[in-house]
Amino acid sequence: MTAIDVKARVVDSVCPYCGVGCALSWVVDTERNRILEARGRDGAANEGRLCVKGRYGFDYTTHAHRLTKPLIRREDAYPKGALSWDDNGPRRPGGPVDPETVLPHFREATWEEALERVGQGLRGIRDAHGGDALAGFGSAKGSNEEAYLFQKLVRAGFGTNNVDHCTRLCHASSVAALLEGIGSGGVTNIVRDIERADVALITGCNPTENHPVAATFMKDAAANGTELLVVNTRRPRIADYAAMYLEIRPGTDVAFYNAMMHVIINEGLTDDAFIAARTENFEAIRENVQEYSPESVAELVGVDAERITEAARRFGRANAAMLFWGMGISQHTHGTDNARCLIALAMITGNTGRPGTGLHPLRGQNNVQGASDAGLIPMMYPDYQKVSDSGARARFEALWGRSLSPEPGRTVTEITDGALDGTIRGMYILGENPFVSDPDVEKVRKALGTLEFLVVQDIFLTETAEFADVILPGSAFAEKTGTVTNTDRRVQVGRQALQPPGESRQDWQIICDIAERIGYPMRYPDVSAVFDEFAAATGSYAGLSHEVLGDRGRWYPCPDPEHSEGEPIVFEETFPRGRALLVPARQSPPVEATDAAYPLVLNTGRVLEHWHTGTMTRRSAALHGISPEGFVEIHPDDAAAYGVADGGWVEVTSRRGHIRIRARLRDRVARGSVFIPMHFREACANVLTHPAVDPVGKIPAFKYCAVRLEPVVAEDRA
Amino acid sequence: MTDTVSLTIDDQAVEVPVGTTIWDAARSLGIDIPVLCHSTRMRPVGVCRMCVVDTGVRNLQASCVRPCEEGMAVYTDSEKVRRNRRMLLELLLADYPAPGNREATTGDDELLALARDYGVEHSRFQASASAAPAPVDDSSPVIVVDHAACILCDRCIRGCDELQHNDVMTRSGKGAATHIAFDLDVPMGESTCVACGECQAVCPTGALTNRSLHGLHVLAEDRE
Ligand code: SF4
Ligand code: SF4
Ligand code: FES
Repeated sequence: MTAIDVKARVVDSVCPYCGVGCALSWVVDTERNRILEARGRDGAANEGRLCVKGRYGFDYTTHAHRLTKPLIRREDAYPKGALSWDDNGPRRPGGPVDPETVLPHFREATWEEALERVGQGLRGIRDAHGGDALAGFGSAKGSNEEAYLFQKLVRAGFGTNNVDHCTRLCHASSVAALLEGIGSGGVTNIVRDIERADVALITGCNPTENHPVAATFMKDAAANGTELLVVNTRRPRIADYAAMYLEIRPGTDVAFYNAMMHVIINEGLTDDAFIAARTENFEAIRENVQEYSPESVAELVGVDAERITEAARRFGRANAAMLFWGMGISQHTHGTDNARCLIALAMITGNTGRPGTGLHPLRGQNNVQGASDAGLIPMMYPDYQKVSDSGARARFEALWGRSLSPEPGRTVTEITDGALDGTIRGMYILGENPFVSDPDVEKVRKALGTLEFLVVQDIFLTETAEFADVILPGSAFAEKTGTVTNTDRRVQVGRQALQPPGESRQDWQIICDIAERIGYPMRYPDVSAVFDEFAAATGSYAGLSHEVLGDRGRWYPCPDPEHSEGEPIVFEETFPRGRALLVPARQSPPVEATDAAYPLVLNTGRVLEHWHTGTMTRRSAALHGISPEGFVEIHPDDAAAYGVADGGWVEVTSRRGHIRIRARLRDRVARGSVFIPMHFREACANVLTHPAVDPVGKIPAFKYCAVRLEPVVAEDRA
Repeated sequence: MTDTVSLTIDDQAVEVPVGTTIWDAARSLGIDIPVLCHSTRMRPVGVCRMCVVDTGVRNLQASCVRPCEEGMAVYTDSEKVRRNRRMLLELLLADYPAPGNREATTGDDELLALARDYGVEHSRFQASASAAPAPVDDSSPVIVVDHAACILCDRCIRGCDELQHNDVMTRSGKGAATHIAFDLDVPMGESTCVACGECQAVCPTGALTNRSLHGLHVLAEDRE
């Protein structure tokens, strides 16, 4: 075989997948516009390490399914509905949306025509029904610049605060609790500070699969003497490195952490000086936890009182203890309460503001921190300035040259409700796939189908795009330049390595194109100018620019970026709200308890190789090859009771729907629980999930609903 | 204050904290000592002996693991040292499947680069005739393992076990049959490997390479 000669270019960028934010370089075949190899770079978060997604998940960019031309829905394709779902959805052998089933319902259009249609559609609704009849979903996969422009377009151009993104689905409750408790939603200490912690509590997360490179540093720390206390409902691999692994029953987090605090307070393991100087409302916590003795919660939680006590003592006695948490804490109807408990636990033991301490909600998407910072939140302008605050509003009115709505906008799930009741008539969805990612798919389907006008901007035909009037072809991460902010608050520049294929355009330019058509021109010479406008409107990013961020990026805040890397630890002296507010929480029952008809608790999540709704990773040959299909994980004893074999097909049913999926027998799930990853549309976990949300964070309870499971006889499947 | 030791390396004086390796001390002077098994990202293990230097004692010392001592006079590039390295390279090249997958694709095979530097064009040695050629393990979807190109530097093992803590890789067998292995010596694609690619990234030779590059020959890499 003769080798093909290629001229390569090496481009320094950042991994497009998770919130760890690994720095990497792509080796690019410029002639064929494709990435050949990814190499780890010596970044602040990864020191050259990568996981399988960053290392091998780049080839989706050149997949044949890429959208390369604007598309307009054909006249005869109304009324709108899902196109690839009903016939072959749940029963298809697998794989992402097949364009063959969807494209016949659309026709190719010029940018001119497509943008004109978008302008008409959105303008028409705004002018006839007011801005609040419109809404936008931005994406935590976009850059800070895109997020900033998107919310600016919705706020100033549409005239509404109805702008949200997927953080609602992951950490909205954590952010709500953090804003309430300390006045800032960001992490206090970076992941790698774990090497200076004596104890690290790692709860409600599965870092070896979902934050793989962060997990390698946790394991480094464990090897060097940091005691890991791992708490979860399904055994994560990091538990193999833990000093203690405590498996609690689903939904009993509040009782468990209140019991830990009970021990810490009653055994005098609190940091009284810290409590006196830095917190308020400690008495309420002390009183509240009295009825949560380890003995009284042991049965509910499913952990012996002695072990709860031991975990509490280890945490309470540590000189420096750090807390990491993930969606297992946040994605509950009591997610805000869960996070309140963790904040209180850190505060009463004086564990913030020092090396090896602090609060670290592990961020999922590569730019979920940045998208929130940039204002893709219905109640907040960039940098968490409240839309209801007249001072902030006046500043943004001056900056954007439009009067702005003082009303906080609707959240993701409220926008769905609004579409159903007719108050939301038009939407702009950029890079999100709510049809698969949001709870209760059937409800989302109705909502999307009801919209008068929907424009979707994406790189592939998503299930959501099937409901669109107009589809605009955007660009993949590697095809554009822009900044992303990782879980550590590290702002890094992703650099363009590839050309957007066909007629597809850079997303920030498309946002500006749409702005132009609705009568709110936004013009910038280049994307770094967008960053400058955004940074100047915030306190956190002030002083940063593409140029100063360079190859390594900076942690924000970074008042002196010429000479410093920024702040790896914040709030050493005081919190943004002054003293930390300790908020007591009470154990509450799940929204949908198990019963005789639906006896199992369904937990949903992710696997190492895939990303969310799979639009990217299922189009990566390597990642798809390793992990081609969905599965339901079930305990071998439960499987035996239901007559289910490893690899056999089962039907999983909840009060909202049912799916068919292969069973995987694993004792890492607890008896009485099952786990289904969210990525696989043909076995879509969110057909089953419950749309109930946390009252404060408005986050859906992806981690808890009641299901039943039956084996499927082989013939049935055909 | 940390205790320090003073020494000379290639006649340049240097003072370093106690415990500093000769290799690190040399680097602080801008002296590059060639390595194969050593990588600054990992714990030094001193298994390949490419980095040997002359400290005046009878045996040459592996500088990547040997701590500096007070009053040492180190020579990193003497004729004796160079002869030793050339011999080592010839031995390693004896059964090397040149050019191998790394040189043929990205052209950055570290063994072949050193051979060029030291003017070793071919080996006077031959692989023992009785030994079957080491196999190619093609079972992973992302990495090709060419056991014949492995020099047993253990970088991949440390990358897997100590950087990524996946604990999949080890050495197996003994004598000439020694080879890197996955789990209990199963093919890579059937092992508990999570395909992070760290082994491939740290491998200096054509033993572990990315499948995505096979069939391509990268002529030059421009950086911007
Ligand atoms: S850990 Fe996250 S950021 Fe790093 S390579 Fe993996 S997916 Fe990418
Ligand atoms: S496979 Fe590569 S890294 Fe591993 S021991 Fe062999 S030569 Fe070294
Ligand atoms: S580089 Fe020092 S012994 Fe291998």
